[in-house]
Amino acid sequence: MLSLLIQKELKNILLSPKFTATFLVCSILILISVFIGINEYENAVTQFEINQQIAQQDIAQSSNWGQVRNIVHREPTPMQIFVSGLHFDVGRLSSISSSNDVKLTRSPYSDETLFAIFRFIDFAFIVQVVLSLFAILFTYDAINGERENGTLKLAFASSVSRVNYLLAKFIGIWLGLIVPLFIPILIGLLLVLLFKVPISGSDWMSILGLIFLSILYVTLFIGIGILVSALTRKSSLSFLLLLVIWIGGVLILPRMGVMAAGQLVEIEPVAQIEAKQEAFQQARWSQYSEDLSSVWREREQEMEGLDENERRSYRDDKEWEWLEIDDASRKQVQTDIVDNNRKLLEDVQNKKIIQQNLAFSLARISPVSSFRLAAMNISGTDIGMKSRYEESMRNYKDTFVAFAEKKQEESGQSAGFRIEIDSNEGVKIDFGRNDQTLDTSDIPRYDAPLVLASNTFGNSILDFGLLGIFIILSFGGSFIAFLRYDMR
Amino acid sequence: MFKLIFLKELKEIIQSSRFTISFAVCSVLIILAFFMGAQNYLASQSQYEAAIQENRNQIAANTEWMMVQHSIMLPPQPLMALVNGISNDVGRNISMSNRGELRADNTRFNDEPIFAIFRFMDLEFIFGIVLSLFAIIFAYDAINGEKVSGTLKLCFANSIPRASFIAGKLAGSFVGLSIALLIPILIGAAILPILGVQLSSDEWLRLALIVFSGLAYFGLFLALAIGISAMTNRPSNAFLIGLVVWIFAVLIVPRASVLISGRLDEVPNVDDITAQKNRFRAQLFQEDRPKMSNFKPDEGTEPQEVMTQFSSFMRELSSTRQEKIDAFTERVNEEYINRKNRQEEVALALSRISPTSVFTLASTELAGTSLGLQNRFMESAKDYQNIYGNFITEKTGSEGHSGFRMVMVTTDDEGEEPETLDPNEMPKFEFAKTSLKTAASNSFLDLGLLVLFNLLFFGGAFAAFLRYDLR
Repeated sequence: MLSLLIQKELKNILLSPKFTATFLVCSILILISVFIGINEYENAVTQFEINQQIAQQDIAQSSNWGQVRNIVHREPTPMQIFVSGLHFDVGRLSSISSSNDVKLTRSPYSDETLFAIFRFIDFAFIVQVVLSLFAILFTYDAINGERENGTLKLAFASSVSRVNYLLAKFIGIWLGLIVPLFIPILIGLLLVLLFKVPISGSDWMSILGLIFLSILYVTLFIGIGILVSALTRKSSLSFLLLLVIWIGGVLILPRMGVMAAGQLVEIEPVAQIEAKQEAFQQARWSQYSEDLSSVWREREQEMEGLDENERRSYRDDKEWEWLEIDDASRKQVQTDIVDNNRKLLEDVQNKKIIQQNLAFSLARISPVSSFRLAAMNISGTDIGMKSRYEESMRNYKDTFVAFAEKKQEESGQSAGFRIEIDSNEGVKIDFGRNDQTLDTSDIPRYDAPLVLASNTFGNSILDFGLLGIFIILSFGGSFIAFLRYDMR
Repeated sequence: MFKLIFLKELKEIIQSSRFTISFAVCSVLIILAFFMGAQNYLASQSQYEAAIQENRNQIAANTEWMMVQHSIMLPPQPLMALVNGISNDVGRNISMSNRGELRADNTRFNDEPIFAIFRFMDLEFIFGIVLSLFAIIFAYDAINGEKVSGTLKLCFANSIPRASFIAGKLAGSFVGLSIALLIPILIGAAILPILGVQLSSDEWLRLALIVFSGLAYFGLFLALAIGISAMTNRPSNAFLIGLVVWIFAVLIVPRASVLISGRLDEVPNVDDITAQKNRFRAQLFQEDRPKMSNFKPDEGTEPQEVMTQFSSFMRELSSTRQEKIDAFTERVNEEYINRKNRQEEVALALSRISPTSVFTLASTELAGTSLGLQNRFMESAKDYQNIYGNFITEKTGSEGHSGFRMVMVTTDDEGEEPETLDPNEMPKFEFAKTSLKTAASNSFLDLGLLVLFNLLFFGGAFAAFLRYDLR
């Protein structure tokens, strides 16, 4: 009996105009989004490669290793084709030098504001907005529509159990809505292969995870649709209620959660932090100048009473020691500045984590947030992307600065250019090197942080679980509502 | 007769359950949008003031103008919080230097990516997405619903011209729903001054124009839905078509058209432009190196005087170099901006196929958060750079950071402590907003298109209804 009911439901759906419309619209959208995504990804990769070459050329042109400033870029990921997440909003490069802290700047949207007006269209957006809407369209009259047509009474004139009937409805709608979508999804994946997008094994796992997540999400909306249909007697009312739920769940609640958290947990703006960093930096250098002056005065005092030759000899003896002391205190200033910068950022980062946790907890009232957060996690374009990159760039900075210092020492030249004024020889300017370029062949390479499917799935367990719970609740609710449904 | 149909439609709408639900949802959303917008603006304002104060403190801690690290910020505007546009994607801070190129950093979404995940709920979003959907929900069965329930035949048993009927339907729905929307909008607008957001008369007028464009946009979706209803026999089919049209018009066409057409007219990447400038700068420096190496002071000059001569020589050299760099940068930038403008024009023209794009462009232009925001901020910053440059030159006698600078610090304990700087002396940065007249004339095309879409869809609905089979 169950199989018969499923067949009937499936046939009804496949022959309906809404199936044709849904299938066509979703197919077009998924294919367009994948095509645009591939193009954007290829552009990003080309630009990334050019930028790396430019950065290397710039290093090669520097006058010496002490002045080298490297620029590292965020690496595009093939997963951004399906879930762009925060890829376009977060800065894509950072300067790497001993004097500056790592900071991702220049987001793709800030460089190309044209694309920021209407934003990007990707697979996750289609599932989140369009497919959920179609799921409602497929289910709003699943129960009460049959009652209005009188077919519900007819169906139960035979020995059909309510559980079987509801199960058949659900399976029929599920098969009718989800299975046909595999066609554009598979074509989309073929496009990805055709354009030779380098998809790793981990990426394939992520894609499978994303498809599974999307199925869970659409299943949930099917469940909600059947639940509301089983709770109401008129299809027009259930439709209206479902639309309100959809608007609230998809468009409003996620935003409200984040906005409320933004109001509840205030965070110092970056401009203010930077001004504080600059103030500390200036104060510290000014302190250094004062300390250096007093050190030199002490050294002068040590030489008091010596004649010119003795002074010169004393100075020659002590020169190396003094240089080391001065260099150490200069390095200490730099360390203090970096430490202070990091401390200030750490404070902000801690507050941000509190804000994020609150925002996501509030937003997760809506299952749409769970879907979006999990999709972004799986694809590596999540909220943690920025800090992940900045952290790995900081580690790289340490390696790079140590490398540049070593190279500088090996070259035996001083940083910048040196001006010597001699009463006999006049002015001599040493630029540290001739016109040859620096050898960049052994520069340490920056490797983007690895985002493995196993880690991202671990981070998304909560959202997968929440979607599962919502599905169970909606189906449980549907069964209870339908068991008590008045079929007349 | 028109009046009678109009009143009947109005009454029907107001008494329907969908009106109650939609009115409640829209009211909550609109009032929330105003409330959250006001809160957001106040928070941005206080952050802006704190950042300015921090910058002033930093200036006040200095004793030399030459050591000052000055930065300017894009001041938050109340309308930016109500219609976000691209304001969250534009750099808000510029580190000021008296010469050379300026760059705006710290976009809000980069600094606070949490808000980029779901974005903000502003008036553009509510009108553009939510209300357009409600317009379809309200009107998808305006004609065929009456046919299915049999009231259409009954109606035309009397001597009612079809023109009056459809005009009455449209006017009734539009007036009923618009008034219902205006109530929360007025409440929202009243909340602004209560929460401490003071709008100037110019800004109130802009807000009124935004609301007008929103209502025109809502009206065109009503006319579209009535048109679809007059072209189909079953409400379910009308809704399905309406929904597909809505998905394409609101969610797909604006994004896809900009993404596709934007890539058709390729603009050189900003990184390439930066690399070109860097290469030119390096090349000039390379050319100047022999001159620097060959510097010879006058015979028998004292070391202190040698330093002064060398400093002046280097300043002159770097000044000439900077002039060349400025000229090159200006040329490259101009070429880039021209191509970028052309790309934007093509992309936006194509996106205007969708009324949603038209509404977005009109409302963001009026709110001052359109694509022009970035250019305006940069132009204001450049104007300020001249003022700042003159100020620094006057204070230090040097052209400042971009060239060569040699500072001689003496360490005399006996001398008086140098005085700290007075931040009030620093010229104030003024962001040049577009005037209402310019904003209105820039959005004239889009406002006109909105009216045109209304006429077109109403004309379509009218023509379809004239040929409608009433049986």
